[in-house]
Amino acid sequence: MARIHVRQFLDTFVRPLVAGGELHVSAPIPTEDVDRWEHELGEATPELVAVDEARTAVLSTIVVRPPALVLDRDELALAAGLHDALFLVHPRAERWSVSERQRRKIIDTALGLVSQPLTTNRTRVMARHALLHRVFHLTRHDTTVSWWTGRARFHGQKPSRRLTAWRGLRRVREEVNVVDFDELLAVPDTAPIIATLLRRTPLTQLLDSHPGAPPLHWEDAVFVLRDHELARAVAYRLVPDAPPREVVVGPARLAAAFEQMLERAPDEADVRAVAAFLVHLAALFCLGELTMREPMAKSPLLSTVLAAEAAAQRPRGLATLFALPGALALVDPRIAVPPGIELGAKGPPRPGTMSALAARWTVQRMQSAELLGDAMIEALAARLRRHLHVPVRDPGEVGVRPTA
Amino acid sequence: MALEHVAQGQTRFFTPGVAPDPRGILLGRSCLMTFPTLEGAVSWLRLYSSEASLDELMAGLSITKARTALGSREIVIIVPAVSSYASDRAARLARLVGGAIYTGTAKHFVKYRDDRSPYGYDAVDIGAMPQNADFMVHGDEFAQAYAREGDLPFARLLFRLSIRKLPGGERLGPDDRGELYLAVAHGLADGIIRYLWRNRVEAQAGLFDPQSPSAFDDHARDRGYMLIRARNLPERILHLFLGTPGIDVFRPAGASCAVAVGYEHPIDLASCQSVFPPDTFHVFWPGDRVDALPGPLALSDIADLTRVDLHLDRPREAAPHGGGAAEPIGVELRLAAAMGPPRRVVATLIPLEHGTRLKRILFALPPVSLRGHRVAVTDRGILVIGSENLDVIPLGQLLCELTPGLLVPLGMDVVPRVSPEVLARALGHGAGLVTVFTPDDRPFQIAEGSFATLERRALAKLEPERAGVEDYSVVASEDAQVINDAVGRFALWGFPDAPDRKLLPSGDK
Repeated sequence: MARIHVRQFLDTFVRPLVAGGELHVSAPIPTEDVDRWEHELGEATPELVAVDEARTAVLSTIVVRPPALVLDRDELALAAGLHDALFLVHPRAERWSVSERQRRKIIDTALGLVSQPLTTNRTRVMARHALLHRVFHLTRHDTTVSWWTGRARFHGQKPSRRLTAWRGLRRVREEVNVVDFDELLAVPDTAPIIATLLRRTPLTQLLDSHPGAPPLHWEDAVFVLRDHELARAVAYRLVPDAPPREVVVGPARLAAAFEQMLERAPDEADVRAVAAFLVHLAALFCLGELTMREPMAKSPLLSTVLAAEAAAQRPRGLATLFALPGALALVDPRIAVPPGIELGAKGPPRPGTMSALAARWTVQRMQSAELLGDAMIEALAARLRRHLHVPVRDPGEVGVRPTA
Repeated sequence: MALEHVAQGQTRFFTPGVAPDPRGILLGRSCLMTFPTLEGAVSWLRLYSSEASLDELMAGLSITKARTALGSREIVIIVPAVSSYASDRAARLARLVGGAIYTGTAKHFVKYRDDRSPYGYDAVDIGAMPQNADFMVHGDEFAQAYAREGDLPFARLLFRLSIRKLPGGERLGPDDRGELYLAVAHGLADGIIRYLWRNRVEAQAGLFDPQSPSAFDDHARDRGYMLIRARNLPERILHLFLGTPGIDVFRPAGASCAVAVGYEHPIDLASCQSVFPPDTFHVFWPGDRVDALPGPLALSDIADLTRVDLHLDRPREAAPHGGGAAEPIGVELRLAAAMGPPRRVVATLIPLEHGTRLKRILFALPPVSLRGHRVAVTDRGILVIGSENLDVIPLGQLLCELTPGLLVPLGMDVVPRVSPEVLARALGHGAGLVTVFTPDDRPFQIAEGSFATLERRALAKLEPERAGVEDYSVVASEDAQVINDAVGRFALWGFPDAPDRKLLPSGDK
């Protein structure tokens, strides 16, 4: 079998993976090929530039100034790992001639390819996200052709023209079924590969998800929140200007991951960062209601998503999301209210504080407490107390700030 | 004598002629109200007419002078009990003016419901009526029989009541001046018609003689006048007419009567129009004068009543003139400081060089703050149009809207000040276009289809500027460092000898 040049892989797989188009999955890629491709990258400048330009376009909606990106070996390996995972759902891999041992070998190779080192480098995180940002939205068109004497199914392949000829006479019918992440990358063989792959691109997991995707590990992703621009991009992507039930889907997913985080033994600073971020998301909900005619009216968002009759349809983590500010107020009030909101202040609001936002914040907190109940808030506060330790500080003590 | 409280759902009663209405309230066919004086009865009519229509009660309304067995007299008003809602209103108003209300059908009337018994009362001990008694009322502690002494027709009462002067009633608002009647003496009619016509007041006029009930009233014709119906009479003309002898101004009260401006009839005449015969129009003058004019009023447009000058001996020949399209008058449009109150800011035009600032602001704002904003990037700048809260983008030249889609800088106006429609026509502005006037007097137009929702995606391709680094610092001078170079052999020829100086001076000096 002829060796595939990296140009072909970039052109037929990597560029469509970034920019969209037809993603060609062929024979599985061994690790040796990826090592060879690293050296061949110098001969594939046009393809490489096309991929990097597409990645820059992806990042242009996330940061004001996307960094300069150059595809390197570890990103090539991630793409090759994804390719091998997709080969596992290729019809060729389903044939009898492909033994279970061979499949195991491909899975191990794919796992080895995607097991690149975790990174907290801003540019590398963005580069990986730009490469894999479509991973939750990959689809395949499966065509079922039926004729008067039989039927045949084509997974991501075009039916033979021989089968579709003489449509009227042979009573040919074609049905196209679109399969997505669930059937491509959430099947038992591919799921561990995708879970490993997604841990390498935490920004993708923060910005996007799929119900069949593995849950987020906040410990891997919390560093993104410490970058203002990326944290803002995540927050604004998660709280779109959309109907109430769509608005809370993303924040509820992250709150569910926060619940799981509290069951482990995370660093206290990480818990604080995630909690403050979720509180910020709650403030964005308030910001979306500033244009209401009655400033003290009940929040339609909370009434819709926390309604008792819709309790069964609540996404996981939703109750935690709305109970968190109340619970934090019991544990550490400093992060229970987002900066800029001054509650209970008498007299005119200080410059820089937003009285209208504070009013909406108060209304939403009261409504959340009413709809969720004090017991739920108390329970969450008890779980938070295990992780957040508020030091008792002597008022006479003079703090020294780090100078660097 | 005792009354029993009617229970909810009770259907059988001792009082004859009463039954529960759909709400369960005991109701007869009529309601009877007793007032100690005629003033009380008039007050009730006055209050009721101001709140509801008397016309619906007029079919069964009767006002009666009644006498008790002891000789005391009361005024009794009987109205049909059309519904318990109407009866509730009648009861409330009767109690307000010191009267009492009962309900029944023929002879026996029982106390109408009150707070203590919300479903009404039933008289448990209906005895025989005394002789000479026409009807009987049953109250809490008493039962009182009445004999009729005489009836007072409502129409007669209405015309006997004097209209009352209203303080400040001559000041009429624009709505009140919508239709007014002018009674103009014969001698003034021509002048008034000409005056109204000159002032472009829409009016109709007709000559009327009041109907007189007496065949011997020879002066009825002398009291005739011209009645003019004027619409939207300007306030200055109204004041002029009110102060002019020979002209009286009336306000219509319903379709069949009018009351002098500044006066009011005690009973709302509009609520009792069925009292007035359909072929009459009543004019209520100050001083208890009521004129009944033949109705409906037949009036003619005053435009056809103006004086016509006719010169039959000098016929005019029509002079032919050449015609053609009007020559267009070109006036240069320009911007000038606006004199009126500031308009609402709806858009901003951001110079292209400030595009990166806009992008930074855009990326820092949550999507909900940008709800309803649209953007179009042109070679003249970035135009952002917002539905509200445009203050989240503190950049560029703020623009406000003259007419939909026609934008001018804030605080500026287009001169000459023509109507926005004319301006839009002159500029070729229409639906689907946005026309922007800029301070440099170079307006431009953009199609509505060019606008996109303002979000990160809209300006993602905008390249942020990269500042070039200039170095203006002085080059730091190097430190002075002594370096001992290697020195070979050397000669000291030419160097002077050093003087022979001893450490101590000689003793002879």
